[in-house]
Parts: sequence; structure tokens; C-alpha cells
Amino acid sequence: MKKYGKLLSILLAVMMLAGLLAACGGGTATTAAPTTKAAETKKTEAEKTEAEKTEAEKTEAEKTEAEKTEAEKTEAPKTEAPETEAPETEAEETDAPELEGDDPDQLPRKETLYYNGRQWGPVNSMNPLSNSHNLNMFFEESSLTTLLFYESLYMFNQNDGKLYPLLADGDYTEEDGVYTIKLKEAARWSDGEPLTAEDVVFTYEVNEMCSTSQAVAMKYISKIEALDEKTVQITADKDNYNPLKILEYFPQMHIYPKHQLGALVDSYNGDIEAIKNDYNEDAIGSGPYKPYHFDNTKIVFIRDDNYWGQDESMWGKLPAPKYIAHNIFSDNNAGSVAFQQGEVDMAQQFMPQVWKMWEDGLPVSTYLDEPPYYIGAQMPSAGFNVTRPGLDNATVRRALAMAIDYDQIGEAAMSGYTLPMVPALITRAEPEMAMVDLEALKPLQWTGKQIDEANALLDDAGIVDTDGDGIREVAGVNLVFQVECPAGWTDWNAALEIVAAAGKAIGMDLSTYFPERTVYYDDIQTGNYDIAMMSYASASPINPWLRSYQTLYSDGGANVDAERVFTNYSRYSNERVDELIDLIPTETDEDKLIEYYTELNEIYLTEVPTIPLMYRPSSFHTVNESVWTNFPEANDGRNIPPNILAQGYSIAGLYDLELVDP
Amino acid sequence: MKHRLRTTFQNTNFLVGFSILIILLLLTFVAPLFMQGSPLDMVGTLFNKPGNYVNRMGVIDAPKYPMSIEVDSIRLGAAVSNEEAAQMLEWFEKSELDIEWKMLNPAKDHAEIVELFLANYDDSIRLPGTSAYRKGFTRLYLKVQNLLSADGYVVQVEDSSSDSGYREVTKIQSRDFTNVKDVPARRFFLLGTDNFGRDVFHELVSAIGNSLMVGLIAGSIATTIGLLIGLTSGYVGGWVDNLLTFVTNMFTVIPSFVILILLSYSISSSSRSIVVVAFVIGLTAWPWTARSVRSQTLTLKNRDHVNISRLSGFGTVRIIVTDILPYVLSYVVMAYILQISSAILAEAQLSMLGLGPSTTTHATLGLMLSWSMQFQAPLSGAWWAFIPVVLSIALISFSMNLMNTGLDQVFNPTLR
Repeated sequence: MKKYGKLLSILLAVMMLAGLLAACGGGTATTAAPTTKAAETKKTEAEKTEAEKTEAEKTEAEKTEAEKTEAEKTEAPKTEAPETEAPETEAEETDAPELEGDDPDQLPRKETLYYNGRQWGPVNSMNPLSNSHNLNMFFEESSLTTLLFYESLYMFNQNDGKLYPLLADGDYTEEDGVYTIKLKEAARWSDGEPLTAEDVVFTYEVNEMCSTSQAVAMKYISKIEALDEKTVQITADKDNYNPLKILEYFPQMHIYPKHQLGALVDSYNGDIEAIKNDYNEDAIGSGPYKPYHFDNTKIVFIRDDNYWGQDESMWGKLPAPKYIAHNIFSDNNAGSVAFQQGEVDMAQQFMPQVWKMWEDGLPVSTYLDEPPYYIGAQMPSAGFNVTRPGLDNATVRRALAMAIDYDQIGEAAMSGYTLPMVPALITRAEPEMAMVDLEALKPLQWTGKQIDEANALLDDAGIVDTDGDGIREVAGVNLVFQVECPAGWTDWNAALEIVAAAGKAIGMDLSTYFPERTVYYDDIQTGNYDIAMMSYASASPINPWLRSYQTLYSDGGANVDAERVFTNYSRYSNERVDELIDLIPTETDEDKLIEYYTELNEIYLTEVPTIPLMYRPSSFHTVNESVWTNFPEANDGRNIPPNILAQGYSIAGLYDLELVDP
Repeated sequence: MKHRLRTTFQNTNFLVGFSILIILLLLTFVAPLFMQGSPLDMVGTLFNKPGNYVNRMGVIDAPKYPMSIEVDSIRLGAAVSNEEAAQMLEWFEKSELDIEWKMLNPAKDHAEIVELFLANYDDSIRLPGTSAYRKGFTRLYLKVQNLLSADGYVVQVEDSSSDSGYREVTKIQSRDFTNVKDVPARRFFLLGTDNFGRDVFHELVSAIGNSLMVGLIAGSIATTIGLLIGLTSGYVGGWVDNLLTFVTNMFTVIPSFVILILLSYSISSSSRSIVVVAFVIGLTAWPWTARSVRSQTLTLKNRDHVNISRLSGFGTVRIIVTDILPYVLSYVVMAYILQISSAILAEAQLSMLGLGPSTTTHATLGLMLSWSMQFQAPLSGAWWAFIPVVLSIALISFSMNLMNTGLDQVFNPTLR
């Protein structure tokens, strides 16, 4: 793709020249020539964009859950805009519901909660089965699933790592790999139809049928059936028994309405592509909000005043804001300005030096009052393509890991929003730290900025500069690599510049490369990169297993030559690692688990397929209390996690919001 | 020639522009002699403000000089502004505790207010209002809580052999002073640090040097190509003229910045060094020079002295060099200056798009601007990260333009 792009750009330049050549031909050229040439140029350009589009769609379609969470990373300001053309159906979207509420251009400020950092382009689809939809506020599915429109069976709370029932009625029961889930009696769709076990069964099946990012769920399930209207039974696949993979989807999978989405699916007679391309303008959900108005500058949701959740069995009331609105900002700067001016209440974007805002007297708060202000849940890492000559050498990888200045990344690139980096496959969250023997890992962990030690390590391994160009060689290969991550993801870009600087200090020539987001995904999936920023599993009820799986699992080495991979982009392969990752899900003995995780971490720290660079929050939960107040905070006794009042259990915070000035 | 030079340097416009440029050039050569390390060293952290930084451990280690300077009020004045004193009074009012605060004057009685605040502040009293409002008081409390302590600070080190686990290193009293010269680890940041913690002034000096280099290389290339094509096509005429004019027109019509972007994109970022970028800019910037030189040559080529040379049997090259070039030279010099300044701007634009030289190997004005914008420097008040850069760019093009105007006045008799 990269090479192709370069070739294309040269070709385009030549073509433009050629077109002009014909046009400037003066007296000798015929008049017909320029027009045909110009037309041709245009056509090829159109073809090119067409080709790019399908290419992009294809990649998107093949996304897995791991990548999905990454895709939700919301600081790609300009990058998303080009792929989202405003759909024609928009007009219809705005007509019908307009009667029941206010003018979407003049929403009453005191009834509206404004967001930023979640939507960077006009809505391109309301179809949850489409893999290229961009309506994150509605459709994001991860362990921190968005619960405004569609809802999941359970809500994940990253504070205590527990699942809280949403559509489900109480805890599930499990016996012999058979899971039974009761649904709440009150649960119904926004059109009044009851939400039944049939809907849950339909959801699992339709995801598999359309191979969406949630399709993997069915790989671990042999049978899913509705016992009665409100009871679902899921039978685990005995041959592929992995209870963690079944548990993973309870808080993650949005439940879809069979009577609406099912009818849409049926109307296409199994033409998957056609199903995915349907705009689905009549989408109905079970959640507290429904679409109200979408245009090129904003998206607005309106509260469903008949929401089933006001039943005593759930929340007992309606969420406070009548509207939820998200203006589409051109970039991070525009979003930050709006936030500072109080036009945005709930921010989800990287804003450096957030403390300056309250020092300036703005009513701004973060979840934690003290540094690091946010709670780190994932670890963006510099991942190596271990199939590349030079990078297949673990000593080279380790030397770079030792040379990087992690404090500088934390303080400068991340503006101090991270705890000091302690390299391992776990975050600094208590439940994860309890899963490994931390003492045993100490001798293997690097502390960073160990330039001399790293140089000595390379010298001892015979990796030296023999041809005098200032760059070391390993097995005749110069250590010259590109470090890649999408353009516009500010903190990641800056972190990689610091990595490149570390490389320079130990005789590696690293240069940064920041392409468009789609190019980046294509590169890491197809293995067309040297070193790239990657971020595996965020907060999840099944961590650290999920992160280990996504970082290291090779499926018996099948990934090394695979054309496309969706986890373990490093294409790292190790038999013992695979064995451990297969063992953990079914192991129940705590000590054994610690033993396995510790061994896994030891291998990880010795082999260094990725270098964790920082701890990053799953969302940059920052609030401005100009209009709304009583946002969740750490240790306020409510146990509501910092996931912007929309993801997982943090939606509970929406019900407690109060007006500053009623 | 001598006369020309003299008149040139007597022109104020030219002289001012030239002096600015020379000062900038001198800066790029002289300043690095006084700087430590490379301009790309990441020494500080995100947007440290300008000033002299001394090591805090060094301050403790350095000899202390007790002085009878009234320090407490200075500390108090620095820590508590009138607004903050008023904020404390507001807390007394809102907390509804039985406190005598009404006679206190927030503009004068800082010490008394702080004392009263420290004595009464209670984190568990929940004031009405927003959480940010309440947190403001907590932060205020943390800020002033040690202000009035007369005992000073105790510095300890961890020591497992002692009972408490700590061993006292020193006590710091409020009247203790240290001579900054005694602190060995110091660093002066004239313009603070950028988002990577690099010294902005050092980086700026190096970036101006790089930008001028880009300008000179790109300008020279563009002017040379333009001159060659213009002279040849204007003097030789015929099909050569047709062909060259046609090529020139082609390049004029396409916005050169588009070609620039495409070309830079097709060069991998690792090989995008200063010189390569300068070449790319130079290769796209020549058409206007070529056009103007050609039209000037056309008016010159039928003049008498040229015809005489031709009749005398001189070769084309010699005629161009001796009879035509000197007449267009004044224009070319002016065009050259403009080329330089536009090349500097082009580099800045390219770097802003991420298509310039790489951040880890070079400091350029465009890169500095690009990163400070990405880290929202204007929003967090880090003026030092972008205003000096913008000023430098403006100053360079301003000086070039002044020189250009000056030359114009010297060489163009109608303007004299």
C-alpha cells in the first residue's frame, strides 16, 4: 500500500504534467487532444479513489476486536474525515423526529450534555453490522461498550473489574460449560416491543453471519438457544473450551432487535455485502437515547422518555440530560477551545497540561485530582515486526527497550498522564499486579535511558558498526528502520519521536513515519512495517489474559506467514507461550495461574516482541462544570468508572448529573 | 561595479535588511558556541517556561548563608495573591463556620487570612457548588499549608540502619540562602522548552541556520535553472524557445506546492534530509524566474551592442555571457533573494504537513511550529514555543524583502 501510494503520487505528478503538455501544445496540437487527456486524468483519479475506497472497506470489514478498540482511539482528528461522505439519507433522518423536540440548532443548553473527541466526521451509517460505521457514540463495542443506544447484557466496571447486570436479570449461572442468563422482565425496545431471549440469540447469530468484529464469539460456543421468552442458554464448545472468551462478550456485545434488524437482514436474502451497506435509518435500540439529528457539523441524540430502565428493577429514573450532542470539530485544537469555553461538558481527547485550565480558574476537573489525573488501562507499545531481518534479533530489541527514556515519554509526550513505566504484560491496576510474581520479574525489567548498558549489550553480542557509517549491523543488515503510527495521534507521534531519538543514541537509525489511519492498519495487519505503535486490550474483565493473548499468541506459528493478522501484529511465535495462553483460561487454581502468568511475563521480557511505552487511560475523561455538575470522581463513594458516562458501568453517572444553576 | 556596490550599501532599505540577515547569521554561528549539547537533546519536560533552572538537590548540598532578609512576607506575597486571599474569605463565608473574618482586608492582611484559613479549613465540609469549585479550596490549602511554619523544612534520606528508616540530612530555615553560583547543576533556558523538553532557544538558532541553508540551496538551484532556461530560450529563439517556453508554462500552471507535496511524499522520510528537501523545493520554484529572464532577454537581443557582437562573429554562449547576462543580472539578484525567502516558507509549510526533514535529525522552523501546534501551545499559554519561531520566519522574509526593495531602488532608475 505504501509503495503503491508513492508510485501513484509520482504517476499523478507525471500525469498532471502530461495533461498540461497536451494543453500547452500551442499551434501544433489539435484542439481535441487536451480534453481527452484531461478527461482521462480525471477518470484515473476517480478510479484511484474508488480503488482506495474498496480497499479501505475491505480492511475495515476484516477488523477484529483487538483492532476495534484501537480504532476507537479518538485522537485521529483529520484522518477520519475523508472516508465519511455525508449520506443522502440524512435528510430523512432529520424529518421524522423533529416534531417531538427542540430545534437541533438551538438546543436548550440546560438540557443538553455536549461531548468532544468521539466523532470526527459526519455519520456514515446507522447500521451496526457495517464494519465501517463511524458512529462511536452508538456502536463502539469493547469491554467498555457504549450503552446509549444499544445495550449489552452486562456492564463492565473498570474500577472493581466486576460485571453489573443491565439487560440481564442478576448474575448468570454456569454449570458444566452451560451458561444461563435471565433477562429483565421490564426490558423492551424503544418501539415498545419486549426485548426477548430470541433477540439475544439473533444477535450472536447475525454477528457470525455478517462476520462483524464480534463474530469470533461463536467460535467458542456450540449452541445458543432461547429457553423461554426471557431466558438464554449458551453452551460452550467443549473442543475449544475457553470460558474467558465466552465471558468477554457478555459486557461487550450489543443486543440487536430481531423484529427490526432481523427484518432488514431477511430482506436481502443473505447478500451480506448488501446488508452491510444498508443505512438502516429506522434503527431502534433499547437504550436511554435515540438518534435525533445528524448533519455535517453535529450529531444529537434525544432521551427516550419511555425508556424501560426507569423501571425499579434497573435505574428507577431517566438520565438527566434530555439531549446528548457532539459537535464535529476539525481537530483537537478546535475541540479543546470549545471545551475551555464551556461549550463542551464531557471531553474525551488528549489535552496537554490540563491543569493549566483549573489554574486559570476554569471549572474543569479530571477523574483523579492529582497526577496522573487519569487511570491508565492500556499500554501503547512500540511493536517490532520480528520477521524483519535485524529485528528478528532479541538483543537488538532489548537494547532499544533499555535505551528509551520512558520518563521523558511520560512527562513530555503524555503530559504526565501516566504512572512510571514498569515493563510487563500487566498494567499498574491492583487486580492485574496480583496475577504475577513481581519480584521474579525484577531482574529482567529495564528501567530506561540505559544508553551505556544498551551499547555494551550490543557490543558484546557482536552487533557493531563495521562499515563506519555510524549505524550498527547485525548479520550484515544495517539497523535502519521506520517507526510507524497514524498521523494526528499527538501523544503517540511524540512518543515515537522519543523512541527514534533513543535509537540514534545506540547506533540504530530510526525514522518516524506517520501515514493515514487506514494505511497504518493495513501495514500492521499485513506485516508491512518495521516498528509500529500498537495498543492491545484496554480494561477488560478477562485481563491480563486478553492482553497476553493479543500480544503473543501465534496459534501454533500460523500467524508468521499469514497474509493478514488481527492480533499479535509482531508475528511473534513461541510454542511455550502458546501453550501457556491455552492453559490459563481453564485453570482455576490461583497459584498455578500466577505461575503461568509469571512465566509468560518472563518470556515476554526476555524476547521483547513489543516495548510498552506508557499507561494510557481508556478515555481522557475530563469535565467542565459550567452547566452540569456531580460528575463521577475517584473515591466519591459511587464507584462509577471514568469512562465518559457512556461506556460500561460509567453510564450510571448520567442518572446523577445535576444542573449547576437549575 | 564598485560604484554599484557602494550605492547599494548606501541604500537604507538594503542596509537594514542586510544587517538583520547578518545578525541572524551571526547568531547561528556564535550562539552554539555557548550552548551545551545538541539542540535536539530532550533535557526538560513539556513546555517548561523560560528561566534559569537550578538543581534542587544541589541547592541543599550547597553551602548556606543565613541572611537577615525578611523572607516570610516575600513567600507569602508570591504564594497568595489578592484573589486567593479573597477566595479564602469566600470559604469562611460559605462554610458558615463561626469565624471572625469580616474585618479582614483581602488586599492587605494576607498573613492573618492564611493563618485563619489554615486554622479552620476542613476538607470534609462540603460547600455548595461544583466539584471544581470545591477542589479550588483544597488546592489552595495544599499550596499555603507550609507557608507560615517557622520551623523550616527537614530533609531526610532513606536509611535502613536508623530506627525510623530515615536519616536527617539537613534542616532548611526560612532565613537560609544559597548562592546560585554554588549550585553545580544549572541550566538557563532563554526561551523555555518545547513539547519534547528541548531548549527552544538552542533549537531556534539551529533551525534558523537550517532554514537559511534550505533557502540558499533551493534559491540557488531555482535561480540557476531559471536563468539558464530563460537566457537560452530568449536568445536562441525558434523551436528551442517554443519547447522551453512550453515546459516553463507547464510548470507555472501547476501550483508548485502540489508538485512539492507529491515529490516529498515519494521520498521516504529517512532520506528527507535538509539538502534533499532544499533540492526538491529548488526544482519546483524556477518557472517565474525563467519567464522573466526570457522576456528581458527578448528585449535585449536586438540591441545594437548585441548585433555588433553577432556581426563580429562571437559565439552564442559568449554573447549571452558578456552582452546579455550583465543586463539581466540586477533582476536576477532580486529574484534570487525572493526565491530564498519563499523557499524558507515552503520548508516551513512542508514540515507543518509532516513532509519536511525528520524531527529527530534536524531542527527546522516548520517542525517547531508544527509540534507546538499539535501540543496546543497557544491554549496552554506556552508562547515561547511558537512566537519566537513565527517571529524568526517573519524576520527572515522581512529582511529579504527589504534587501529586495533596496536593490530595486538601486538598479531601477525610475524608482530612484
